[in-house]
Amino acid sequence: MEERATDLVIKNLRKSFGKNKVLNGIDFELKEGERVVVLGPSGSGKSTFLRCINWMEEPTSGEIIFDGEVVTEKNIRQVRRNIGMVFQHFNLINNMTVMENLTLAPVKLKVMKREAAEKRARELLRHIGLLGKADAYPASLSGGQKQRVAIVRAMMLSPEVLLFDEPTSALDPESIGDVLSLISELAERGMTIMIVTHEMSFAKEIATRVVFIDKGRIIEEGAPEEFFSHPKTERVREFLEKVL
Amino acid sequence: MDNFVNKIVELFSTPEYIDSLLHGFLLTLQVSYFAILIGVALGTVIALVDTAKKTKWTVVPKFICTVYTTIVRGTPMALQLFIMFFVIFAIKGFPSIITAIIAFGLNSAAYTAEVIRSGILSVDPGQTEAGLALGLSRRTIFFKIVAPQAIKNIIPAMGNEIITVIKETAIVSMVGMYDLNMAAKDIGSGQNMASYIVPMFVAALFYLATIYLITFIVRRVEKSLRKSERRVEE
Repeated sequence: MEERATDLVIKNLRKSFGKNKVLNGIDFELKEGERVVVLGPSGSGKSTFLRCINWMEEPTSGEIIFDGEVVTEKNIRQVRRNIGMVFQHFNLINNMTVMENLTLAPVKLKVMKREAAEKRARELLRHIGLLGKADAYPASLSGGQKQRVAIVRAMMLSPEVLLFDEPTSALDPESIGDVLSLISELAERGMTIMIVTHEMSFAKEIATRVVFIDKGRIIEEGAPEEFFSHPKTERVREFLEKVL
Repeated sequence: MDNFVNKIVELFSTPEYIDSLLHGFLLTLQVSYFAILIGVALGTVIALVDTAKKTKWTVVPKFICTVYTTIVRGTPMALQLFIMFFVIFAIKGFPSIITAIIAFGLNSAAYTAEVIRSGILSVDPGQTEAGLALGLSRRTIFFKIVAPQAIKNIIPAMGNEIITVIKETAIVSMVGMYDLNMAAKDIGSGQNMASYIVPMFVAALFYLATIYLITFIVRRVEKSLRKSERRVEE
């Protein structure tokens, strides 16, 4: 793969829904090859933070700078091509087969010819053991299968960063393992990842950095060993006591 | 009972009566058909404006659409028909069939808009998000993802609207147009028939057959659209 200087810089990001202030000024940087796990209590704004990065939610104020360029209404589609996203509820396109789900964006965005896209899709599907489902519709897949297809779909455009928004929260315990091991595999191959999750042991294992958000602010961040064994703030100590 | 059967035989063996019924039936079909076309076209536009993202460009059109649907759905169809006939198109020699088509078309548009709007809104927002996250344009997302899923929700309710329009056109007899309903009344008041029961019974059969056929077609379309939802499990 070619040399890429992935650089995501977020400055004073704020987001409100009406009067409800969800993000209250977040400053953050992401370097190539990092795997950042975002933790926090429910309602802390961690999902909103992730969703603001590729403008699934339009920030109320603040700057998002991706590869040296400020993200705006004008370049957002180009930015989204380079930032893959995996959702809690998979969001496979219901009226398309697995194959069509994978090839839609690369073909429509003229990144690949149809044959090339289908070839790559088949390779990826074979890799996750779902080649036999290429012509199936999402409704006939299990949750774990759907999520693995969704991850592979995000990979089709070879993004520089992958965002995971609670990728295993809607899954049964058995499929969680399958999905997590696929994410680990991407991590091992050097993928830059940001993930919101409640799977603490997975977070420990995969993260190169942990970010803790509470009430719309980053209140602590650091290396996982440090974060989990010697939390600096009372709030994080409290949180870890409850979840570990 | 014998009398009833005899009268039916009489009705069907008198070319004049058959002619009247078919004439009326044809008018009913013409008004319904073109009204539904107008309704679908205009209704689609209203629904698209209604579901479009709120920006400075869509505020005014959105407001106009809301006012329009509120007025149309809030007043009786018969009154709207009268306004068209005796106020707006009260032009001497203006073909009454066109006035009727416009009246029913504009009315149906408001209801069709609601059907299409709720069909679009019933598609999971996650479907749109998936498209956005992949960098697709709003246009592609609408035509490739949202519309094909919305149509499955729209078809059954649209069938209902078509049926409603066909039956509702019967009120054109109130402004003296010779539709199926009027034909039945006309035959019933004729010298030989001298009873409304038989022609009205036959007119009812005409309506019923038409609507049965439409219901059948709508079911067929519905079924073929649901193919992609074959659920193996879950």
